[in-house]
Amino acid sequence: MTSVDFDAGAEATPRSSKVVLGFSDYARYLIAVVFVGFSLFPFYIVLSTSLKSESDIFAWPPVWLFDVTWDNYFSALFVFGGTGVLPFLINSLIITALSTLLAVGLGSMVAYGLTRFRVVGGSHIFFFILSTRFAPPVAFVVPIFLMIREAGLLDTHLALILIYTSMNLSLVVWIIRGFFEAIPIEIEEAAQIDGYSRLQIFRKVALPLVKPGLITTSILSAILSWNEFLIATVMTQNTAATLPVYLAGFSGSMGLEWGPFMAVGAMAVLPIMIFTLVLQRHLVRGLTFGAVR
Amino acid sequence: MAQVQLQDVHKIYPDGTKAVRALNLEIQSGEFLCVLGPSGCGKSTTLRMIAGLEEVSSGIIEVDGQDIVGTPARERDIAMVFENYALYPHLNVFDNIAMPLVARRTAKPEIRERVERIAGTMGICEHLTKRPSKLSGGQRQRVSLARAMIRSPKMFLMDEPLGHLEEYLRIELRREIRALHEATGGTTFYITHDQEEAAAVSDRIAVMTDGVLQQVGTMADLIDRPVNRFVAEFVGEPPISMFNDVAVANGQIRLGDYSVALPPALNRAVDASPPVSVGVRPGKFSIDDAEAEGLSAIAQSVQLMGEWAAILCDTPAGPATALAAKSELPSEGARVKLNPDPEGLLLFNKNGRNIVSAEV
Repeated sequence: MTSVDFDAGAEATPRSSKVVLGFSDYARYLIAVVFVGFSLFPFYIVLSTSLKSESDIFAWPPVWLFDVTWDNYFSALFVFGGTGVLPFLINSLIITALSTLLAVGLGSMVAYGLTRFRVVGGSHIFFFILSTRFAPPVAFVVPIFLMIREAGLLDTHLALILIYTSMNLSLVVWIIRGFFEAIPIEIEEAAQIDGYSRLQIFRKVALPLVKPGLITTSILSAILSWNEFLIATVMTQNTAATLPVYLAGFSGSMGLEWGPFMAVGAMAVLPIMIFTLVLQRHLVRGLTFGAVR
Repeated sequence: MAQVQLQDVHKIYPDGTKAVRALNLEIQSGEFLCVLGPSGCGKSTTLRMIAGLEEVSSGIIEVDGQDIVGTPARERDIAMVFENYALYPHLNVFDNIAMPLVARRTAKPEIRERVERIAGTMGICEHLTKRPSKLSGGQRQRVSLARAMIRSPKMFLMDEPLGHLEEYLRIELRREIRALHEATGGTTFYITHDQEEAAAVSDRIAVMTDGVLQQVGTMADLIDRPVNRFVAEFVGEPPISMFNDVAVANGQIRLGDYSVALPPALNRAVDASPPVSVGVRPGKFSIDDAEAEGLSAIAQSVQLMGEWAAILCDTPAGPATALAAKSELPSEGARVKLNPDPEGLLLFNKNGRNIVSAEV
């Protein structure tokens, strides 16, 4: 492995102000624009509908220019169901945050232990951990429901935190494992000789070096927990219900209130989007550059 | 500063590879010992066993009389320099150097003072706030050396520290390593495959191959009194000329078309242990005119190395290498006579042992 000399690279390809675009470049951009537009269109509908008045929502042909109104958000937050969306938003935040923290924390420990110590049947354990995700979650819903009921955890935050943690754990272990294996072992040996214990090496050397892996798995775990519907709807009714559960119940209980419905949808996207964008900034590649050689 | 003793140390890897066999070695307090050997000879494994990074299969490693087998690496009070530097990429140079002190909960002001002092010694003061990735190879190894030198450990272990560096940096850094060793007075265990480097930095050199220690001694010992053919052929630049077609009779040894009278000491040893091969160091040949007495040779190639040149010759006894001063070089293809110095003959028996040391 060699370190990348950024200065030399910049010199070799001088930044020219005149970039000539060929036909293939235009074709590439066109395809990209079409794809992005296709993907973002539903989100555009959610956002625009949430900001429209009732008459604009049902106008045909659809109105593209309209007077922005925040009424739908007001209704969603404070009017519906007496309490509005807020408790469910908070439930989702608590459950997503804790299960992500637990999954990434425990998962990185598992991955580190299995990559650094000679464990009998280590690779089988890795395979077993991944195999817990082979079957569709719906196959486990009934047994898990019974277990949760017996434990007296129905409709509690803890139930969902535990289930999501165990579901995301396998993902975290598998992704982080590759990051740990990429750390040159000499760095940890140097730390051993410098006087650090295994736990200190894990905390002060190994974890900082797999930061990109921790961030990637945090984002993935958070998205999966945030959007999970099936298990949430079975395990919770009210106290611990998450946003997807609330959203699904929306149409049923109140007819089709499209405006507030879309407002809740927009609010459901926002936290996870902010979380991802913030973390992504720290997703620097090549953190181990310059460690060896 | 510590005296280290390895007693009958073996290392067998789980796959059955015998990396180190029956190793007995003593490193004196304050000594700079180099281990020299081809790659895969077990020298790195030996160092890693002393460091505590590799378990010992059997045997004892004593430091100042105390067995340290089983002691974790972090409690062995050692410092190590790795071939690939092994700096912490997420920390800047200052924090890299400070790591051993931080682990021992040294007070902040003292850490700052000591890091700055050692950075001054190593000439890396202006890089203290940089990440290792921004440094050149030579600078990285200086940081790694500074990290090792920040404490006064019982011993320094260096695993081919200059292996990845360019020639001019190697020469510069090995002088500094030697100076640092003398300044700290520590015991240093240094691994290299470069014999010139070994000769430049060390007090004594241990030669290993196939997991077995061959000989420990000064460079002069290894050149003039190699215990066996491996040491004779591995050590010495340009390499020794080895002749396998050897006949001894009446106190004379026959090399191709020429006979040399054996000195009395060698002559006595010949009877006890009949030699099958004879080695002559390039410097022990004198090159004479074609008319003179000596082993007939044709100078095939003349390789100038500064003030001296290695003359690669063909002789009736086999290929030979001789040294000639730059001022009196034979032309390529010239017929010459090679005259070996009888005192410089190295005779080896059928087991490859030097017949002089074989008796001991």
